[in-house]
Amino acid sequence: MSAAALAALPLQTHHRLRKLIACGDPVDVFRAIAAGQRVTGGIDERVWHAWRNVAGLDEVMARRCGEHGISVVCSRDDEYPTSIVHDREAPAVLFYRGDLSALRRRRVGIIGTRTASLSGCNFARTLGRDLALNDVAVVSGLARGIDVHAHRGVCDVGTGAAVAVVACGLDVVYPPEHELEWDDVARRGVLLTEAPPGTAPETHRFPLRNRILAALSEVLVVVESRARGGSMITVREAMKRDVTVMAVPGSPHAPVSDGTNALLKDGCEPVTDVDDVLVALGLSSGSSRRGADMREAPTPAERGVLAACTTRAVTVDEIVMTIGIPVFEAGVLLGRLELKGWVQQVNGWWEALT
Amino acid sequence: MYAAVSSSTLHGVFGAPITVEVHIGHGLPGFSIVGQPDEACRESRDRVRAALLCSGHEWPNRRITVNLSGDGEKKGGATADLAIAVGVLIAEGKIEQGAVDHLAFVGELGLDGSLRATSGIAPLSYSARAESVVVPMVSVHEARIAVGDRAIGVSTLRQVCAVLAGGEPWPDTGIAPHRVLADVPPDMADVMGQENAKFAMEVAAAGFHHVLMVGPPGAGKSMLAHRMPGILPRLGTAESFETSMVRSAAGLPAVNPPSLVPPFRAPHHTSTTVSVVGGGSPVRPGEISLAHNGVLFLDEMGEFAPSLLDALRQPLEEGEVRVARARGCVTLPARFLLIGASNPCPCANEMVTSCTCTPQMRHRYLRRFSGPLLDRFDIRINLARPALSGMVTAEPGEPSAAIADRVSAARSRAVERQGAPNAMIAPHLLERHAPLTQAARDVIEARLTRGDLTARGYHRVRRVARTIADLRGDHAVVEQEHVESAIAMRAELTGR
Repeated sequence: MSAAALAALPLQTHHRLRKLIACGDPVDVFRAIAAGQRVTGGIDERVWHAWRNVAGLDEVMARRCGEHGISVVCSRDDEYPTSIVHDREAPAVLFYRGDLSALRRRRVGIIGTRTASLSGCNFARTLGRDLALNDVAVVSGLARGIDVHAHRGVCDVGTGAAVAVVACGLDVVYPPEHELEWDDVARRGVLLTEAPPGTAPETHRFPLRNRILAALSEVLVVVESRARGGSMITVREAMKRDVTVMAVPGSPHAPVSDGTNALLKDGCEPVTDVDDVLVALGLSSGSSRRGADMREAPTPAERGVLAACTTRAVTVDEIVMTIGIPVFEAGVLLGRLELKGWVQQVNGWWEALT
Repeated sequence: MYAAVSSSTLHGVFGAPITVEVHIGHGLPGFSIVGQPDEACRESRDRVRAALLCSGHEWPNRRITVNLSGDGEKKGGATADLAIAVGVLIAEGKIEQGAVDHLAFVGELGLDGSLRATSGIAPLSYSARAESVVVPMVSVHEARIAVGDRAIGVSTLRQVCAVLAGGEPWPDTGIAPHRVLADVPPDMADVMGQENAKFAMEVAAAGFHHVLMVGPPGAGKSMLAHRMPGILPRLGTAESFETSMVRSAAGLPAVNPPSLVPPFRAPHHTSTTVSVVGGGSPVRPGEISLAHNGVLFLDEMGEFAPSLLDALRQPLEEGEVRVARARGCVTLPARFLLIGASNPCPCANEMVTSCTCTPQMRHRYLRRFSGPLLDRFDIRINLARPALSGMVTAEPGEPSAAIADRVSAARSRAVERQGAPNAMIAPHLLERHAPLTQAARDVIEARLTRGDLTARGYHRVRRVARTIADLRGDHAVVEQEHVESAIAMRAELTGR
């Protein structure tokens, strides 16, 4: 637990942590620091001052990790994931729940905005599901919006493997409503962070998290992103590392697709279904498996309504106007389609599910 | 020496008869009023004295005691002024006691002896225990709503004396009905598009269901709400009487003959709780009582004080407001149809996709509606701005009159069946009044399993489905499509 204690030192950064881990066995390094020794150069006097009274931190960390089932791995260990061991900015210490072997699978990152559109979320979910069906692990940040929907897609498949990189300590669930998904990832794969237990989701930690996410992905798919935002940071980190970045095309009118459309213009490969991603991974697309459509077929009357809301989200009024049926009937048919899983509604806007 | 004159006093929206006793006796000159008068009532002393002097009477420089005997409650307001002045004149011997035995007097006096209008003339005259009620001439049409030709209008105290002491006839009060409000509510045909919302309004009007409209500014939320009275069934005699009583008690201009259009009240979101719910001292009816038998429209519902919205829950449940005081409880009628309107989020952008709010902002905005209040809305609909192109080419919508006909037919079916609109069916009576077909049951079952419906939502859907069935003809049993249509009117407020 000395590695954990080194990560949890006050004023710690990933640069300093890498220097400390490079000095030698974490146990010795921590003992030396606790004894007041300056084990390496290039660290501020102010920081050494802050590290004077850290004795016992290793025991605190051991207890916290134990309580929440958190394991620790440092870059000197054999178990440290080989996929990022050569990364120049790799975190020297990783905290994780679950099984690191998930990182030995083929990995595709699915990222996107937190304020995603309905169709964006649905696409993420379908892609997550289809990747899981083809034995590819899905890497995401478990944030609201695209991230969590991609993960839910993985969960739709019994055998899907998931990798999530989060920004805060593993005992601090953020966003709080995703608690179930956190446990789920730990069960199906691995939940990773470089932040020691108890770390709050501070703003500056998210871009740092994004670099790990980018480093762990072999292919990074951006489903929806505004022109600026966390997803674009991940994209930059991925490009630095020569990770293939792919983007899902969106309407030029939709602000949530500004970022992805810009990526496509810059030459990123488009993704419209799972085959595109499999080809980028060098897997054969011919034998790809897709989720079978288990939905009950719509009746002819329902098909008319379904067609009216296929291209974009529409209101009941628009459906009534375009196909000329009474409001009463439109409500009834939309309800039936919703129950069968063909359409979805948010705040009065109806959209067909692909 | 002694006189007794009938009058009445106002408690909330109901009058209570009182007897004004006046005694003039020996002792130190003085004038006191006993019998729990409130502040305004105690000021009667000065008004009555000035009014008598201005009307050509001497002020008796003896000990004058006035007792307001009634139901033991506090007597409020200046409505007993006239009765006190008449009482003093009788006790002085200027008027015979016998001349007032069949009369009650209600009205405030000015210092010059003229009679002024006060609020509550209708309920006051209604409750007075006498053959005829003497009221200020300006309010006589208001009194006539309650007591018809038994109301006598007079303009001054001098006139009253001339009749009671001089044997002159009562002044002619005229018979022309008095009307101050236009009786034509705005028409639904003015609303372009919004067919879904109009249908929801029709269902709400038929079943007296409360409606919540969520939509961006410019979607036509308040336009639709203002047109609700035009599609609601006309008020019956008893209902319009109640409404007139409340208007009178609140001091609003009277309409005689009473309007049969249900009232529409739209308090601003900065209104205080007391002005909306009722209260104060003396207790005055608030906006929700003025909306009795009609529509209460809360625009920008999220902007109202949370305590105010919570205070609406009890009246919504019980159809009346109870204002509790140390000395007892005043009950005000408040059976209204609540229409709430709100933006979907603080940025109020039209489409889900162009919204710039973070999920937290939206969540915080919608959290202002407390769950228990949201539960009262049987119908919740989302509105979008109508397409501009549609506004130019669209034919005018269906007129209110046509919708009102269907609404009335549906409402009579409901009243015939259970004696009340469908929104008031108690949960345990749903099985009797709104039985479901097996297919309808299956749909509800599926929705419950999916988590689309909660237990409370389940009852709401069944009531609304009952109304839809009533609107669509004579259905003894609620069918599948009625339930499906009712479910379509339950938009969730999501913070997604």
